[in-house]
Amino acid sequence: MRERVGYLPDIGEEIIETKILTFTRKGEVLEVEAPLLTMKQMQLVTEKVKTASSEVLKNMSITEIISIIDTAIEVLLDRHSTYRKKAEMLLPIVTGYDKEMIRLGLTSFLKKFRKHELQRFVVEDLGNPLLLDDFQPRVKRGYSKAVGPELILHVWAGNVPALPLWSLISGLLVKSGNIGKVSSAEPLFAGLFAQVLVEVAPQLKDCLAVVWWKGGDEAREKEIFRYSDVVVGYGSNTSLESMSRRIPVTTRFLPFGHKVSFGVISNAALDSRKALTTAHHAAFDIIQFDQQGCYSPHIFYVRKGGNVTPAEFAQYLAQELESYQKRYPRRTLTLEEMTAAVHWRNQEEVTSFSNPAKQVFGQTDHHWTVVYEEGAAFSPTCSNRTVKVIAFDEIEDILPSMLPYRKILQSAGIAAAPKELFRWAEKFGNIGVTRITALGKMTSPEAGWHHDGGFNLLDLVQMVDIEHSAEEYAEYFAAYVD
Amino acid sequence: MKKFENKTVLVTGSSRGIGAAIARGFAVEGATVIVNYLQNEEAAEKTVASCLELGGDAWAIQADVTSESDVNRMMNQIELEVGKLDVVVNNAFKPYVFNPETRKMFSQVKWEDYQEQIDGAVKSTYYVCQQAVPLMKKQTRGSIVNIVTNLVQRPLIPYHDYTTAKSALIGFSRNLAVEVGAFGIRVNCVAPGLVYPTDASRETKEEVKEMIISQTPLRRIAQPDDIVGPVMFLSSEWSQFMTGQTLIVDGGLVMS
Repeated sequence: MRERVGYLPDIGEEIIETKILTFTRKGEVLEVEAPLLTMKQMQLVTEKVKTASSEVLKNMSITEIISIIDTAIEVLLDRHSTYRKKAEMLLPIVTGYDKEMIRLGLTSFLKKFRKHELQRFVVEDLGNPLLLDDFQPRVKRGYSKAVGPELILHVWAGNVPALPLWSLISGLLVKSGNIGKVSSAEPLFAGLFAQVLVEVAPQLKDCLAVVWWKGGDEAREKEIFRYSDVVVGYGSNTSLESMSRRIPVTTRFLPFGHKVSFGVISNAALDSRKALTTAHHAAFDIIQFDQQGCYSPHIFYVRKGGNVTPAEFAQYLAQELESYQKRYPRRTLTLEEMTAAVHWRNQEEVTSFSNPAKQVFGQTDHHWTVVYEEGAAFSPTCSNRTVKVIAFDEIEDILPSMLPYRKILQSAGIAAAPKELFRWAEKFGNIGVTRITALGKMTSPEAGWHHDGGFNLLDLVQMVDIEHSAEEYAEYFAAYVD
Repeated sequence: MKKFENKTVLVTGSSRGIGAAIARGFAVEGATVIVNYLQNEEAAEKTVASCLELGGDAWAIQADVTSESDVNRMMNQIELEVGKLDVVVNNAFKPYVFNPETRKMFSQVKWEDYQEQIDGAVKSTYYVCQQAVPLMKKQTRGSIVNIVTNLVQRPLIPYHDYTTAKSALIGFSRNLAVEVGAFGIRVNCVAPGLVYPTDASRETKEEVKEMIISQTPLRRIAQPDDIVGPVMFLSSEWSQFMTGQTLIVDGGLVMS
């Protein structure tokens, strides 16, 4: 099977070179043809996207743009549309994730970009959506308008399928030209979305591009970073750091590096009835995309004092992971991942010999590992369905060991009563956590969330103010002055 | 020696889903499997191919099991080719969509709906058994396994026509068990809960699956492979002193 991915605006009669990326899953082979542009072609694309977006996108109202995105999302939500069918068929081969996981994950993700969610998204950041269309009066007098950059360059990661949509849609909402570079790990979805978008709104055909080049290609990156007003980068801290060295000081860089998330479970969620559901939710957060997301939990802190003890909870969690393995099997690991998993497990087993309170659940042939420990320090696992359950008495006991990770903490999935929830949220907020969410919802951030504590749209735009003095002064020159 | 070596096994409706999984299960244990199918020749051939690959012998026979002449033709063919029949798994049923949201309410169910399901479940088993029992009598040995549903014990969702027909099949099996026990033939049933994914359960929503999972001790819903073991157990001499029984295979959702 061969599939051409990416999306290019009209740059005339150009011969486009492609790079073939090969994916294999359960005997199915998919060759992905990704557009690899020459420097000159890249420049042509950049110019085209800049011009078209300033002529087309910038003259559309935010309501129109939202409605176009909404229509495109409808197409992708329709399980009978050819695009949706293609995504459901090809993404499992590309990413290795289970078909059902992809199908359900897509629906739950895409739902967040429908009209009403997008409206909330815009209001969340800007208060008044019309700020994107026109100068709006300010309470302090004067007027302001939010102006998006001419060109945003997105450098996407491939850990979770369809994730590029967050930044691409943000870029469209601020009326910018968008060029995205897909990763070799998931080069499919962004281009598919671009194709749907242009099909429902042909007027946008030259306002965006989705291309590929090998990550870290210095010459190419240096060149294209120069043309971009904003670079949004996803990836490891190392790759982001090297990227940042190539970005000129006049280009704004919004890096989204690796993050670590965790769950905290109150004894209130561990009574004889609720413990099972709590474990079910926790397990789902672990298995969804095999813990590859920044929002995926690595550790569950479990408070003592429930009818079900933290150690028993770990056992429940193990059984839930085993059930999920049957329902949504883990993807085939690379040799590197496999070695890391075996190594992690071995180390945990060895240390459990000298620590009677520590237990390692699951056998080597299980596709998950649960380690139960008391008083252990915060430390990310090797992902791919490996998790630690750590018992605690008071929330204050677990905070010190998280402090060194302040810069990389992201989501905390919480199962607790309201009073505890807010008390804990306060504590976690102080040590760097930027998102508190329900257990079972960790891998599914709400529309308009503050990704890593930042703003989706506000970080992209520039506010233009008309100060009151200018307005007053202008009156002086009006033709109608008597 | 493999458990079903030199045994002939007929699995009705085994081109896809649960039936195909059962056929493959027998093939692994060395059986000669007859893959009966109604329409989907391509799928049936695929099942045959995987049976061969797994070390069994297999071939596909097209026959509508609700047609007496079709069943007779199929059974004659089996008798001619192999000369005996050790196990019959009556798995075929009239296509049915398990969708709690679009299921027919009692006021909407016509008698024809019941009739269709009764034909699919009971008439088909009746035709197959009429032919299979004489073959098994010759060997004073045989096992018949009929696939029913746990909905008989607990109609979590009232699929009136489907479940009524399967209830009748349990009654049919018990009566037959009493009579053919004297010839060394056993008749039992396997009652799965919701099995996903199959063509019939494709439309069942996640919410329903989650609802079932939350009440299931083994914390998931069944997959086609989960049904294989109990069917093979009832087909083998491991269950030699069991007849007229229904084994529920649903992770413990229903206990009886």
